[in-house]
Amino acid sequence: MEHLQEEMASLRNEMLDMYKLVLLQVERAQNALIDSNLSIVKEIASTEKLVNAKELQIDSRCETILALFNPVAVDLRFILSALKININLERIGDIADNIARMVAHSKPGFDRELLEKINAKGAFSMSIDMYKSLLQAFEKEDTLLARDILIKDEAIDTITDESITISEEYTKTKPESISQAIPVISIMKMVERIGDHLKNIAEEIIFYAEARVLKHSK
Amino acid sequence: MSPFEIRGLRGRRIRDRIFTAMVWSLTFSCLAVVFIILFYLFKMGIGSLTWALFTQGPKPVGEAGGGILNAIVGSLIVVALAAIIAIPIGISVGIYLADNRGRKLSDRVALAIDVLQGIPSIVIGIVIYIWIVKPTGKFSAYSGSIALAIMMLPPIIKNTEETLLLIPTTLKEASLALGASYFKTSMKVLLPAGIGGIFSGCIIGIARIAGEVAPLLFTAFGNPALTFNIGKPVDTIPKVIFTYASSPYDDWHRIAWGGSVILVSFIIILNTIIKIFESRWKVQF
Amino acid sequence: MEGTILRTENLRVSFGATQVVKGINMEIAEKKVTAFMGPSGCGKTTILRAINRLHELTPEAKVEGNIFLHSENITEMEAMTVRRRVGMVFQRPNPFPTMSIYENVISGFTLNGIKLKTDEKNEIVEDALKKVALWEEVKDTLKRRATSLSGGQQQRLCLARAVAMKPEVILLDEPTSALDPLSTAKIEDLLYELKGNYTLVIVTHNMQQAARISDMTAFFYLGELLEYDDTKKVFTNPKNEKTQNYITGRFG
Repeated sequence: MEHLQEEMASLRNEMLDMYKLVLLQVERAQNALIDSNLSIVKEIASTEKLVNAKELQIDSRCETILALFNPVAVDLRFILSALKININLERIGDIADNIARMVAHSKPGFDRELLEKINAKGAFSMSIDMYKSLLQAFEKEDTLLARDILIKDEAIDTITDESITISEEYTKTKPESISQAIPVISIMKMVERIGDHLKNIAEEIIFYAEARVLKHSK
Repeated sequence: MSPFEIRGLRGRRIRDRIFTAMVWSLTFSCLAVVFIILFYLFKMGIGSLTWALFTQGPKPVGEAGGGILNAIVGSLIVVALAAIIAIPIGISVGIYLADNRGRKLSDRVALAIDVLQGIPSIVIGIVIYIWIVKPTGKFSAYSGSIALAIMMLPPIIKNTEETLLLIPTTLKEASLALGASYFKTSMKVLLPAGIGGIFSGCIIGIARIAGEVAPLLFTAFGNPALTFNIGKPVDTIPKVIFTYASSPYDDWHRIAWGGSVILVSFIIILNTIIKIFESRWKVQF
Repeated sequence: MEGTILRTENLRVSFGATQVVKGINMEIAEKKVTAFMGPSGCGKTTILRAINRLHELTPEAKVEGNIFLHSENITEMEAMTVRRRVGMVFQRPNPFPTMSIYENVISGFTLNGIKLKTDEKNEIVEDALKKVALWEEVKDTLKRRATSLSGGQQQRLCLARAVAMKPEVILLDEPTSALDPLSTAKIEDLLYELKGNYTLVIVTHNMQQAARISDMTAFFYLGELLEYDDTKKVFTNPKNEKTQNYITGRFG
């Protein structure tokens, strides 16, 4: 079944492209936030269009493969997981874009001190590390690595939970900083959501490689 | 099991056994008849199979000894010539019939063949007498061959037709789809595929006429002398069997038995050839 | 259509009083695989066999309309010429039983009385057998009877026989319906490979097969062409409701 394998290979390549594009977006978002690099915000906006186009391309290819080849077993699971991974990646790209917009358009600006206190940079770096591990897990079908990521997500969740408490205390002691503190809190939430999407992707990788469903379980 | 089924079953078993027994015994009796005839024939004739039988012509009346060399040669000539005439015609007609089923002409040809098969051999002999012997003014081997050839046609034609009909049409289509002409398709694909059946049809035809006397009475007539000239009358084995058997001389009866053994052996060999070739040349489709 | 190799013009075929194919107008693209599909009796095989003029073997068949190969009218050409340029592979493998594997491959030439030197013949045979992925399996037993091969191998041999003539179009009438799934898959891979160099028109009962290997799919129903489009479009979003009902299995 050469034809089917060719199509599956093309799908894989398109997904790798998508992974790399979105990773780029997340790294740029970190850059924009931590270093206040506004020029990079424009790049993120234009790449967002590419990301959307790639999402449509992957959807279309999945539809073609399902319609023409009736794939079964691992091939079928790969396609089903590809559709979901696709959505999750696109959302991550969206979040990166939103972060960039916030950095560009936030009038009050960001409270740098709070940013440091809640370790925004650390959280971001963690999520980027998670992402890179995930990419490797996908390329090598390494489900151990994928399981690792599920654990790492918990670490990010911890940081974001703590950040709420820290922010609360900070704004209590410096009430005038509240208008600058709110965007910071929003951004942490977004970073947490990136982690959640990465977790979903990890679950899908485990699904297609092992045919085990880890969604909604502990 | 209900009582009904038991009853039916026993009756069925009995009927089955009776039927099987009947079939076996009738078959056996058929075979028995054949074996008895052959046994008696060989018993009576084996003693006559002398060197003289095969190498000498008949001696004049009253003299002892002699053989049927003239008749053996005559049979071979007449049968071979008949085969040469009948086989090409028969195969061609067979091909035509196989290819043109349902056409009016082929229906009529098939009917004609069936009628031909039913015509008594002596009638064919008389017809050839009128068509050939009378105009040429003499009896001849070739006129006998023509009569025999006519008799050979139905089995050859029927066998060829049936063999070719057994060949799946898809073979013909495969050849034509390559751009081959109809002629090439017949010669290089269909006939080779059917060669087994066609060949056995020809042998059946030969076996049929080898023992014929009636059509030769008015055509080949008979000839005590040995001759290789097809324009002259010849004797054939069945003819001399008839002549010698109906004579009052014991000596000649002996020769008649000898000739019968030769003739029957020939037929048996032909039939064996058919069986061997049919299995060796069987083509799988 | 660009790159059209075959074109039918109001093609109609009737058997006796029954009109089986009712006015087909379609263009077949060169060097692509076009699949004809549809329920039994829809006329797809009839149309295929009209292309290489095989209906002439059936007295009750009447073919009307025109078929053009490039710009030449098939219906006006010499039938044997058409058949040399348009090859056919049949549903049941039909290698010539009295010929060896070698002789079968070269039979298109021998049956047409084309004389070739021995090395020319050897080259043609090797090339054709390689194209159908049969060379490695039979190269040491070329003199064996063709009927000694398995069903799947015999069908590949028939494909080699057609390919050896370097036809412009190869017609395939349900070529894998008599074969087991493994042989079917091998032949499908083969057809997929061949399509770069040959135009293939394949009639199939197996919709999934049409989906897997063809570039264009034509859907026939009761002698009419209901839909004819890129295979991907036909199987993801057919325009005609009957097409959709057929491929989703909702047909009666």
